[in-house]
Amino acid sequence: MKLKTIMYGSLAASLLSTAAVGAEDLKIWTINYTSDKQVSALTAAEAEFEKRNPDVDVQIVMRGTDEHKTALRVASGSDTGPDIYAYWAGLGLGGEYVQAGMSADLSKYYESYGWDDRLTVPSLAFSESFAEGKHGIPFRFSGEVVYYNKGLFEKAGIEGEPANYAELKEAAGKLKEAGIPAFTFGGTVNWHVMRLMDVILETTCGAEKHDALMAMESDWASEPCALEAFTEMKWWTDDHFLKPFMGIDNRQSTTLWFADRAAMMLEGDWHVPTIDENSEMSKYGMFPFPTGTGRLYGFAEYMYISTKSDHADLAAQFLDMFTSDEFQAEHIGAFGALSVNRNVKQGDDALELHKEWLDVFANAKGTFVNGDQAFPLDVTTEYFRIINELASGNLEPQAAADAMAQFIANR
Amino acid sequence: MMDGMSSSVIPRKRRDPVLIGLWISLVLVALIWLAPVVFILFTSLKSESEIFSSAAFALPSDFQWSNFSVAWAKGNFNQTFVNSSVITVIKVPLGLLISAMAAYALAQIPTGWNKLLLVFVLFGAMIPFQVMLAPLFTLVNSMGLIDTYPGIILPYLAFGVPYQVFILHGFFRAVPKELTEAALIDGASHFTIFRRIFLPVSLPVLSALLILDFVATWNEFAMALVLLQDKNMWNLPLGLMSYQGQFSNNYGQLNAAIVMTVLPATIVYLIFQRYFVSGLTSGAVKG
Amino acid sequence: MTNMDLFQTPRGQAIVLMAPALAVYSLFAIWPMIDVVILSFQDWNGIRENRDWVGLQNYHHILYNDPVFWVAFRNTVIWTILSVVFPPLLGLLLALGLNQRLIGRAPLRAIYYLPVIIAPIAVATMWRWMYDPFFGLFTQMLTDMGLSRWIVDWLGDKEVALYSIFVAYVWQSVGFSMVLFLAGLQSVDKSLIDAAHIDGANRREIFKHVTLPALRPTITIVLVLSTISSLKAFDIVYGMTGGGPAQSTQMLALWAFTQSMQIFDYGRGSAVSVVLLAITLVIVVPYMRWSQRREEEAR
Repeated sequence: MKLKTIMYGSLAASLLSTAAVGAEDLKIWTINYTSDKQVSALTAAEAEFEKRNPDVDVQIVMRGTDEHKTALRVASGSDTGPDIYAYWAGLGLGGEYVQAGMSADLSKYYESYGWDDRLTVPSLAFSESFAEGKHGIPFRFSGEVVYYNKGLFEKAGIEGEPANYAELKEAAGKLKEAGIPAFTFGGTVNWHVMRLMDVILETTCGAEKHDALMAMESDWASEPCALEAFTEMKWWTDDHFLKPFMGIDNRQSTTLWFADRAAMMLEGDWHVPTIDENSEMSKYGMFPFPTGTGRLYGFAEYMYISTKSDHADLAAQFLDMFTSDEFQAEHIGAFGALSVNRNVKQGDDALELHKEWLDVFANAKGTFVNGDQAFPLDVTTEYFRIINELASGNLEPQAAADAMAQFIANR
Repeated sequence: MMDGMSSSVIPRKRRDPVLIGLWISLVLVALIWLAPVVFILFTSLKSESEIFSSAAFALPSDFQWSNFSVAWAKGNFNQTFVNSSVITVIKVPLGLLISAMAAYALAQIPTGWNKLLLVFVLFGAMIPFQVMLAPLFTLVNSMGLIDTYPGIILPYLAFGVPYQVFILHGFFRAVPKELTEAALIDGASHFTIFRRIFLPVSLPVLSALLILDFVATWNEFAMALVLLQDKNMWNLPLGLMSYQGQFSNNYGQLNAAIVMTVLPATIVYLIFQRYFVSGLTSGAVKG
Repeated sequence: MTNMDLFQTPRGQAIVLMAPALAVYSLFAIWPMIDVVILSFQDWNGIRENRDWVGLQNYHHILYNDPVFWVAFRNTVIWTILSVVFPPLLGLLLALGLNQRLIGRAPLRAIYYLPVIIAPIAVATMWRWMYDPFFGLFTQMLTDMGLSRWIVDWLGDKEVALYSIFVAYVWQSVGFSMVLFLAGLQSVDKSLIDAAHIDGANRREIFKHVTLPALRPTITIVLVLSTISSLKAFDIVYGMTGGGPAQSTQMLALWAFTQSMQIFDYGRGSAVSVVLLAITLVIVVPYMRWSQRREEEAR
C-alpha cells in the first residue's frame, strides 16, 4: 500500500488542493503498534488535528517494524516520503537518517514552542546527539528492568530485592540451589539475550567507559571491563538461564516465565500490560537491574520532520499538539508507563507495576540505550553473533572481546 | 512393472517375499512422511491446554475450530488471501501466454538467432534469483512499483519465462515443420498458426505447466519478501511468516495458520495430481 | 509502412511473438544480474544518492574481514553436498520400489510427493514448531520414550541446527527426485529386463547392468537440478533460523540478502551474491553444454 497509497494520496491531495485552495496534507509514517490504546491514540491525534485545522488532511501510515525500516529506505531513494516519520532514536536507527540529512533541524520549533521545558530529560537525550541542531521530538520513552516472580524468590529463600550486582548473583545462586533458573530469554530474536549483556557492560564498566565502548571509541580488546562483562555474561548463560534458550523466541520465553519455569525476565515497561493480561499482577515484582550507575536502561522513540517535507511548520504544529499537556493527559499510558511530557502523570487507576515504574523513571540518573540502538547495523549484527556464540559456549570471554574489537577495527 | 511383464516368462513365485518386504517398508516410510502433516493438522484443532497435556498424535478430544477463525482474523488472512489470489490469477495465464508465444517463435520461425536466443533464455532457468534480490528491489523501487501488483507480477513473469519456454519449445519443436509450412502456403500468418494449431495441441502441456506455476507462484516467498513491504500487500507466505513472528506462543492457532496457507495448493495438487508429474517430467527428463 | 512489414514477414512476426517474454525477462531477470555485479564494486547504503566506486574493497572485506562469510560458504558447500547425496538417493530408492506393481502404489506416490507442493516457508514454520525444545514433536516423542537425555535444542544448538534444517529439506525435496526417477524408469527397455531374467540374472545384476545404464541421463539431470536448488536454499533457512544461532546456519544466498536488505550494505551483499553466482555458473555452464550436445545427438 505504501507507495501506492502515497501515489494515490498525493494524487487525491493535488485534486483536493485545486478544489479547496490552501488544503494541505500531512503524511505521517509510524510503526504498527500492537496495543489498541496506542493505535487509538494515533487515530485520535489525526482527528484532533484535522478538527483544529479543517483544511488539513492527516494521513497516518502504520507498518510492521521491519517494513517501516525498509519503507524509509525506499522513501529516501525517491521523491516521495512522509512529512513526519517515527523512528527509534539510537545511532544505528534514527541517528543514521539524521546523519544522512533526512531529518530537519527543529531548533527554532523547540524554542518557539518551548519543548525543552515540556519534555522529560531522559527522553530528550538523543535530540542533539547525531548532528548540529535539534533533531526529532520524543513521543515515547521505554525503560527496561528486571521483573521477578515473588513466589519463586520466596521458595529460594531470597529476602528483598537485590540492591547491587553481588546480591543479584547471590540470589541467582540461591535460585539455582532451589532448582530454579534465574532468567529466561529467547535466543532466536537476538536482541532479547543482548539486553543482559548491555546491562552487565554498564555494571562492570560504569557509565563513562560503557558509553565509550558503545560509541566504539574505546578498544573492546584492551578494555578490562569489556572482558569482565563477557566473563560475567558467561557466568549467567552457563548456569543461570532456563535452557534451552537459543531455539525459542521472546514470546515463548514469556510463556515459560508465566508458567513459573524461571524467576526473572529483563523486560520493558510494556511488559506490565502483558502481565495484566496473562497472569496476576500481585505475583510479580520489579527492580532496575543493579548496575550501580543509577542510569536507566531504555530507549526513546522520536518523531522526525523530513527535510523533504514542504509542510515543516504544519508538521511542527502537529508534533506540538501530540506532546501537549492536554493530549498526553488524555492518552496517558498508551505509550508506556510514563509520558514524555513532564507535566502529565498517571492517576490512581494505573496498573500496579506502572506506579512502581514512575519511581524508576523519577530516580534515574540519566539513561543508557540498548546495544542495537547504539551501534550501526553491521556492528549490531556482529554484537548479536558474538553474544550468541558466548551464550552457547562456543566462544571464551577473551575471544569474544577480541572478535568485537577486530570487527570494529576492520569496518 | 517389470515383474508383471515377466511373469509369463519365468515361473511365477506366489508371494515374492522381497516384494512384501518392499511394500511394508514403503508403507512405513510413507507413514513417517505423512506424520508431520498429521501432527500439524491435529495440533491445529487442539486447545492450548490439550496441546501441552495430550500425546502428539492423539486425536483432538474437542475440535477447536475457533483456532482457524481466530488465526484468520489475527493473521489478516482476508487480505493476504486476496493478494495471493490476484497475483496468481494474473501472473499464471499471462506468463504461460507470453512463454508459449516466444517458444513457438523460437521453435517454428527460423530467424538465424533462434539457437542463441534459446540459450539466452535457458540460462535464466539455471540462475538462482536469490542472488539478485537487492538489485531487483532497487530496480522495482526506481520504477515506483514497490508494494504494487505490477511490481511483483513483472519479476514473477520474468523468472517464469525460462522454464516454461524450455518445456514448450521442446514440445513445439516436435511438431513437424511441414504442418506450419503447409499452413503458411495457405496464406495463414504465424499468429494464426500459433493460435489455431499450436495452442490447441499443446493444451495438455499448458495445463500441466499451469498447475505447476500455480503452486510455485502461490508459494513464492523470497521475492515477495523484498518487493512487498506493506502488510496490506503481503501474500500468504509473508503473512504466515509474520504470524509466526507475532503469535508464536499460541501453538493451536499457529498450526491453523499453517494449514490455511497450505490448503489451497494441496487441494489443487490432489485434484490435478497427474498433470504435476507429466509437467515436471516432460521438460526435465524427456526434453 | 514499417508496421505492416513487421506483421507480414516471418521475421517480423517472430519478433512480435518473442518481444513480451524477452523484454520482461531481460529487464527483470538479466538486468538485475548485471546490476548485482556492478553493485559489488560499489559502496552504497540505500540512502545516499550516489553509489561510489570502490574497486575490489567489498570482495576484500567479505573474504578477509567478514566473520560470517566463510561460515556461510562452508554451510553452502556442506548443504550442497548433502542435498546432492541424500534426496536423490532416497528418491531413487523410492522410485525403484514404486516402479514395482504394488497395492496402493498411486496413493503412496501421492504421499511422498505431497511435501513438494507445500510452500517452503510453511515447511519451515511446521518444522520449527516440531523442533520446539519444550513442546515440539521430537521433544514430546523422546520424553514419551524415556529418552529425554537425547533431547537437543534442535534449532538452537550450533552443532545440530544446520542438520535439523536439512532433515526438513529432505522431507520436502525427496518427492521431486522420486518423480524424475520414476519418469526415467519409463525409458528403461523392458525387453532387456525380460531377456536378463531369462538368462537367470538376479535383481542386483539387472539393476547394475540394465536399469542403471539406462538411468544415466536422468541421474545427471537430477544431480544438477538438486545442486541448483540447493544453492537457492533461502526460504527454509530464513523461516527456521534466520541464519542463527550466532549465524551458524547462514548460507550465501541468505547472507547476501541480510547484508543488502537488513544491514543495507548493498556493495558487500552484492559481492556475496557474485560469489554465489560464480559457483552456480561453474556448475551450470558445463551442464548446459552437455545437454545441448545430448539434444543434438538425439536429433
